[in-house]
Amino acid sequence: MIPGKILAFLEDEGTVAVSGTRETNLIPHIHYVAGWEVESDKRTIRCYINQAYTDNLISSLEDNRQFCLTVTQVGSHETYQFKGDYVGSTEPNHDDLAAHQRIKTSFAKAVSQVFGFPEEMGLAYIPRPSLVVRFTVREIFLQTPGPGAGHRLFPPEEK
Amino acid sequence: MMDKAMLPDEIKPVMESGIPAIVVTCSADGIPNATIISRVYYVDKTHIALSFQFFNKTIRNVRENPQACVAVSDLAANIKWILDVQYDHSETEGPIFDEMDMQIEAIASATGMAGIFRLRAADIYCVKSFKKLSFTSASSRE
Repeated sequence: MIPGKILAFLEDEGTVAVSGTRETNLIPHIHYVAGWEVESDKRTIRCYINQAYTDNLISSLEDNRQFCLTVTQVGSHETYQFKGDYVGSTEPNHDDLAAHQRIKTSFAKAVSQVFGFPEEMGLAYIPRPSLVVRFTVREIFLQTPGPGAGHRLFPPEEK
Repeated sequence: MMDKAMLPDEIKPVMESGIPAIVVTCSADGIPNATIISRVYYVDKTHIALSFQFFNKTIRNVRENPQACVAVSDLAANIKWILDVQYDHSETEGPIFDEMDMQIEAIASATGMAGIFRLRAADIYCVKSFKKLSFTSASSRE
């Protein structure tokens, strides 16, 4: 189960995300993410992806199920990476599109404040999703820049 | 012999724009890892460099499995470049290292993180292929 503090980050504070997969021969691929939502079991994440970023996505997931998602807050650099197992994919529903819109708006405001870009530019940067990838979280890592980056937060590292 | 792609000049300002980049690597046991980095450095038409600052998962992964995928964004033009690259070698001195060291310090100061970043090496990657994804025009691949 995703710890409460990180759940809150996913729900209210993360502004942009990217995901990764790998082929059978260990070649990795980047898939930009257009939003995310945690399901009611608090361990499955729905990850929204536009058609432009789906090359090698489903073929890799069906081959080995390995998926990673990194979510960051523009400005503070607070970042977490979620690694887990693919459980399925589907078309986005009404709630998914609402979550996508909320995150897109939040991203546009953040890049406007931090980089000085017009909000319209930020809105255009995150395209409407065409696919939802669902995965169960196995591990969570802190990735905020600094010496603590890379520490596993869930399950906690043994001391 | 590894295939190499020739990067167009138009990617250089994208790498220098200050917009963070993305790196996805994969461990030898098959677990992908996605990281946001401050920038990617253009070396020449067939090579890029990434900074080695901490002995993090990306660094460990590329020493186990040299394949990586790197993305840089042109936010103003709404274009993303996705590069398939392969780790080649590390440099701990010389002009590429010195240039990266200076720029990392500048980024650290500008983002309020001075003193957190320290360059250990410039990791040099060969560009195997790339694609340019645009939401305003047709995409291209090489």
